[in-house]
Amino acid sequence: MRTLTGISVTPLSGVGTVQWYDPAVELPETTDSEAAGPESELAAFEHARDVAREELTAERERTAKRIGEAEAEVFEAHLEFLDDPQITEDVTAAVDEGSTATQAVAETFDSYVEQFEGMEGRFAERAADLRDLRDRLLRILTDSEHTDLSTLPEGTVLVAEDLTPSDTARLDPDAVVGLATVGGGRTSHSAIFARSLAIPAVVDIGNALFDVDDGTTVLVDGEAGAVVIDPDTGHDQAATATVEIKPDPVSTVDGRAIEVAANVGTIEELTPAVERGADGIGLFRTEFLFLDRETPPTEDEQYETYRAALEAFPDSRVIVRTLDVGGDKPISYLDLPDEENPFLGARGIRLSLEENTALFEAQLRALLRAAADGAGDLGVMFPMVTTVAELDRVLELVASVDNDLEREDVTHAVPELGVMVETPAAVFCAHELAERVEFLSIGTNDLTQYVMAASRGTETVTDLHDPLYPAVLRAIDRTVREGHRSDAWVGVCGEMAGEPELMTLLVGLGVDELSMSAVTIPSVKAAVAGIDSEAARALARAVLTAETRAAIRDRLQLG
Amino acid sequence: MDRAVTVVPEAGLHARPASRFVQTANEFECDLRVGPADESATLVNARSMLAVTGLGVEHGETVSIVADGDDAEAALNALESVLSTEEV
Repeated sequence: MRTLTGISVTPLSGVGTVQWYDPAVELPETTDSEAAGPESELAAFEHARDVAREELTAERERTAKRIGEAEAEVFEAHLEFLDDPQITEDVTAAVDEGSTATQAVAETFDSYVEQFEGMEGRFAERAADLRDLRDRLLRILTDSEHTDLSTLPEGTVLVAEDLTPSDTARLDPDAVVGLATVGGGRTSHSAIFARSLAIPAVVDIGNALFDVDDGTTVLVDGEAGAVVIDPDTGHDQAATATVEIKPDPVSTVDGRAIEVAANVGTIEELTPAVERGADGIGLFRTEFLFLDRETPPTEDEQYETYRAALEAFPDSRVIVRTLDVGGDKPISYLDLPDEENPFLGARGIRLSLEENTALFEAQLRALLRAAADGAGDLGVMFPMVTTVAELDRVLELVASVDNDLEREDVTHAVPELGVMVETPAAVFCAHELAERVEFLSIGTNDLTQYVMAASRGTETVTDLHDPLYPAVLRAIDRTVREGHRSDAWVGVCGEMAGEPELMTLLVGLGVDELSMSAVTIPSVKAAVAGIDSEAARALARAVLTAETRAAIRDRLQLG
Repeated sequence: MDRAVTVVPEAGLHARPASRFVQTANEFECDLRVGPADESATLVNARSMLAVTGLGVEHGETVSIVADGDDAEAALNALESVLSTEEV
């Protein structure tokens, strides 16, 4: 066992298997005489540029979506250089003198990289951009296969001399459990991307990292800024303790218990949620059971899945959301209408009640059967509820399924029931809805979309899709107050719950439970333990009186 | 036709002034090259952000701009004005 130290980039830890990544392209040994003639070499260069332009445009969009608009700008610089006339001029001149396109690109870029490397400050960053772009063009020109970073096996710790932003943006945070690099800095683009993707990362480890071979088991301890090679069990536990994975429920400094649960979208996500110390599941999506198949899942198949979720959390609550689909997600065995505006159409509970009662009843039967098993406590929540009548109809169906199972002598129980608050209609009727159920769960992504009338996917309105607008925060505040007035507990599931700065605000607004992707649970739990709920309440009061998003950001000290 | 201009912006020929310089060069038809005001220095394409920032020209240094074409005079005037304007 050996420990290497570097600079911590993401305060999370992960244990996995080392895979080295070398983005450099092996250039074929060629001589000038192998050039196929200036015209075809130039055509090869033009083609490589076209491919690179497409790749960069796609990566810019993906980065804007996954990481942020500002971060995506790094690809703008690459695009600007791609068509720079000076580069075209130099490459053309070299090709005219008999070089292959590959040689011409390598020579041209190398001379600029060298030039910028010798300069200071932001010019050094341009050198990194140019190296990245050069490697991309050479890869395309030589038809080289790169390790596909988007499809690395689960449990990979990616190790490299350095990583470019485009490399990092491709990583799948579900598969990559850690990142370690020889060079790099805390504020590099790659570091920012790793943090946004919640991948444990330590950079600037130095040359000692080169001695770590492919296949080695390492612990990337993003809290201590260390990489532990062949961690033994004792050390593993010690390291885990330093990253504050808390298996037990946490409370604020002054003792208010806050449940920190996981959002889970597939059965495979259960284990990571347990490992991350989730207090249960706040949102178990069931769409994966219904999508990508020819026939609906049977009642027994569903029952087994819900039981598996309950067994993963034998001592805590698992909240299952009933099927939430609509015209935006095709299901072959359901005859869903093509809708002009699927997000305002037949989706969520509307679809379950109006179009597919049989499908909904089968899901309820499976859920009531699973609720009877001792493991964990089951909760069931209903998506996209907009009227009290809808909820009454759902409750009638639950009662009728309960009766049927009773008559058939099937073991079952009625679980805790709740309503998703995702529409302004649900916010305004929160009191009446909460009187009929045990809990409310605020889906902040959809609530923001419907309150602001701004879809997440539409680029021109993404700025409006932000829960920090006064309208959204007041909707959350109202929901919590009305829920509590009816003795229901209120949770939040959605990206907002996992952001430390916003979480304090949610605790201040009185939210009882926060549910988020498993990866952020350790840091949220650590943050909750540091909150003073009286101070959080004062902060929430100050935020609720703010008139603009700018004033709110100001009060939250979000620059 | 050529002209020697002393660079006024604090950042020199970096970042925004360089970007504005390149954009201005792109508004003209004539061949435009720029480089240190030194007889032996190599001149680079004034329409290339890469080449222009690569010169590393700092505030207070003098550059030489060479223009060849119909609108050469207008181009030199416009570029001189970019280089002699304090950044706002």
